[in-house]
This record gives sequence, structure tokens and C-alpha cells, in this order.
Amino acid sequence: MAYTAEISRANPTCFVFLIDQSGSMQDAISGGEASQRKCDVVADALNRLLSELVIKCAKEEGVRDYFHVGVIGYGANVGPALGGPLAGRELVPLSEVAASPASLETRSKKVPDGAGGLVDQEVKFPIWVSPVGNGGTPMCQAIARAQSIIAEWLNEHPGCFPPVALNLTDGESTDGDPSLPAENLRTLASADGNVLLFNLHVSSGQTEPVGFPDSDVGLPNTYAKTLFNMSSLLPEHMRAYAQQQGYAVSEGTRGFVFNANIAAVIQFLDIGTRATDLR
Amino acid sequence: MNARPWADVATFWLPKAGSATEEYEDASWVGPDGSPTGERCGRHVRLAVSDGASESMLASRWAHHLAVSFGRSRASPARTLASAIRSWDEVVSDYTMERERRGSPIQWYEEPGLARGAFATLLVVELRAPLTADEHRGTWRAIAVGDSCIFQVRDERLVASFPVSEPNAFGYSPPLVPSKPSDPKAVIRRMTRHRGDWQSGDSFYAVTDALAAWFLRSVHAGERPWEILRDLGTDAGPPSFAEWVAERRVAGAMHNDDVTLVRIDIW
Repeated sequence: MAYTAEISRANPTCFVFLIDQSGSMQDAISGGEASQRKCDVVADALNRLLSELVIKCAKEEGVRDYFHVGVIGYGANVGPALGGPLAGRELVPLSEVAASPASLETRSKKVPDGAGGLVDQEVKFPIWVSPVGNGGTPMCQAIARAQSIIAEWLNEHPGCFPPVALNLTDGESTDGDPSLPAENLRTLASADGNVLLFNLHVSSGQTEPVGFPDSDVGLPNTYAKTLFNMSSLLPEHMRAYAQQQGYAVSEGTRGFVFNANIAAVIQFLDIGTRATDLR
Repeated sequence: MNARPWADVATFWLPKAGSATEEYEDASWVGPDGSPTGERCGRHVRLAVSDGASESMLASRWAHHLAVSFGRSRASPARTLASAIRSWDEVVSDYTMERERRGSPIQWYEEPGLARGAFATLLVVELRAPLTADEHRGTWRAIAVGDSCIFQVRDERLVASFPVSEPNAFGYSPPLVPSKPSDPKAVIRRMTRHRGDWQSGDSFYAVTDALAAWFLRSVHAGERPWEILRDLGTDAGPPSFAEWVAERRVAGAMHNDDVTLVRIDIW
């Protein structure tokens, strides 16, 4: 049965993030109280994804290397995009990612006060990737780069849980139709199944957020439809987790999110017994 | 009080393959004194098994804390849980101070897990001793949260399987006892309970999920998994528990997870 391999230190898998750093990412997302640039939104989403992955794998004596992580930026150049001490590195064991953010910010988060209200609590927010926006959008090249990184990983880890590639973009590829390189990437496989490609689409348009849809009907533009169709179908157990998180799912549900939070995908990964409170 | 030895206890455990011994996150405790092996006489035998959730911080310590707290307690489950939660704060604060002393303070990625608390399954079993030396039967009862199981075998048949009896019912999200429950009463409400009888010659196997799933799959396939468990640690058994488990894991017959078995043979 596919997508059942153990993710462990003895049998780690890899997670490659592709982040759109093209000039169009400087555009603001309209709507909401505070207008945000798309490059801010994707950098924030990526830092949050990395942070959640690290926290998921944290134990009291450090972070376990269940994953090796790569971040490829694409804009004026295509290449490794982690900042700080990890700059230039292509695949980094998760414990090193945890130990070496470029900076550690303190942010304020609303938490329940125990009496029905909310209070501000300070939380640490690590930054590995800063917002960048310049140049074209060589998405095809970026996906091809992910393919070569993942192919090399699979040579060395043929029995791993299938690697995951997650692309964060506004979808406006300038080096051709990304569907073909995406298909090539998804064709790679470990003994446990094909590589998974997920997409987060951030758009300037004022459109309702969409999370893990099962059809491209209703998606607002051709970029969104292309990214939806490039995205892998969610394996059965991931569909179940998506459903638990409140998404309506079917066998056609794909790993695609439009102007919405993608952090849920971290919770789709099984590394051991989950910690959930009884209610 | 009946001073005749009436039960024999043996405990076996092994961490997940690829993990160090100190990373073992199951725990077990057998009363009256916590010794993992040996004869029991005179008193009730009370045992607790707990399996710390891999995705939580301090899971091993919480599993041990729960097993010892419930293994020793004579109070109700609600009072025992409340007391275990109260005394847990001290365990956490000792741990954070110890990290400070070692020059290895809590890191940003550990803070959310520590704030959320630790999680573990819990199985508590009490076998009530016979009232007189001539009696060869008695009663037992158990409570459980999660998928750590107790199996009772009599005359080569599985006569009780609690709280899980289906081999497909095991997964990554069993009910768990949290160290910081948002609603402690919900934990008690979700506790399942079982009562039964025992008689001389019965065997009980209290196990964590990987071994429980293997056991139930074997039973459903018409096999007698207790035959090998009964012989563990004896001349008739496999050379070692570790080797036997490793073979099952390699064959894909047992999930690679921490494994715990407490066997109680009633004389």
C-alpha cells in the first residue's frame, strides 16, 4: 500500500519548498485591513511551515531528523533561498534548520485567557526566508531543480515516504507552462509511492480563499486552474486529516490552496502518535 | 490474608528500532512494589501500562508518571488524575531547571510542546487476590484511555480483549491522557471500564499498541499468539524478546514502535 512508509531518523524523507521571488510578488494583495505584498505573504507562510515542521519533530533532547529540508527561490535567479548560516545549502537536516534561523523575532499571538476572552502572548517566530521580489518567474526551472534534488535523494533513500515539494507562488510563470515539469516531478517515486507536489497560490484578486478543493470549477483564473491541475491528489490518509480539519474532501481533492493557510499540510504527515486533547 | 503465591509477573520492553534505550516512551508499573518480575502473593496485583505520544514533549516522563501514579493509587480515577496533574508541574519545573543547570536552556521549538503538555495512553488493571489459600478464582477490573490493551487467555482461548478487540482499530490518533487537559472531567468520561473473572491457569498480557495489533491480527488469522508470549523468558521461548520483536518488525508483521509486555500467569 502506498504512502505508508515510516518517517523516522532511520528512514527520513525530504521536503522541498519552492518560493516565488519574482517582481510580481511585490504587488499587494487587495482587501483586508492592511494591504500586504504577496512576497511578504509567501515568506511568512514558508517561515510558518518550517517552524511547524520543526516543532512537530521536536523532542526534549533536540529536533529529530525525520526530514531533510530544501528551499529553492525563483525570480532573478533560481537557487537555494535559506538565509543566515544556512545560505547556499540545498538540503539541510531538520535539526540544523531548527538550530540556525537567520533571526528570531518575537510576535504577539492571541490566546484564550481561561475566562472566555483573549489575551496577547509573545511567541518566538523564527525567520529563515526574507521577502524578495524581483525578476521574472522561472517556475519551470525551479520545478526542474526540485526534481533533480529529489531524484538524488531518492537514489539514496529508495524506501522513504515519498518526498513532498511545496510551491508558493502567484502562478504567473514566465518560462513556459509549468504543467509538464510538474508532471515529471510527480512521476518520481520511492518504493512507497510517487512524489507529492502541493501548491499555494497567492493572488492579488479579491477572491474567496479556497482550501484543498476537488475541482477547478470556481477557481478564479487560469493560473489557479493550472496550479490546481499540477497538484497531486491527496493520498487517502491525508484526505482524512484534511477532513478532520474541516475541509470537504473527495477522491479528487488535491494539495492546492488559494489565498489561504497552507500550514495544515504539516499535520498531514505521520511521524508517530499524535497529541490530541480529549473533549 | 492469603500468603500463598498466586501470580507470577514478567515484564518485557524494547524501544523502537533506530531509537536509543533512553528514548523508550512506554512505561509500566506492577504493584505492590513496582518490581517488574516475580511472584505475587497476598495482595491484589495492580498494574499500569502507558504509552507516551511521540508527538509530545516529555512523553516518556509523563507515561512513567501516569503509570506509577495510577499503579500505586487506591483513590478514584478522577482523584488520581487530579493528583498526577498537580505533581506533574514539579516534574516539568525540575526538568527545565536541570536544563538551565546543564547550560542547555529550553529552545524556541520546545516551548510550544511544553506549553501544550505531554500526552500518553493509560491502562490500569487490578486483579483481586483470592480471599483464602484454597480459592482458585477471583475477579479483575480495568480502566483504559487509548489503545494499550489487556488480553486474557484461558484454555487456549482469548476470553477478554480490552479496550480494543479489532486489529484494524489502531492508528496514530488514539485517545490520550494529557498532562494539561482542557477538561479533566472529559478524560474521566472517555475512560472505558471492564470487569471480569479469573481462574487458576489463566494468563494476562498487558501490552502497548504495536504488540496489541500483532496479537489481534494473529488471533483473527486463527493463530495462538499467546503461545510465544507465554514462553518468553523461559527455556522453551525465543532467545530474547529483542530478537523476537526485531524479526517481527523486519517481516512487516509488527509496526516499528516502542513495545511493552507485562505478562501475569495465575497459578
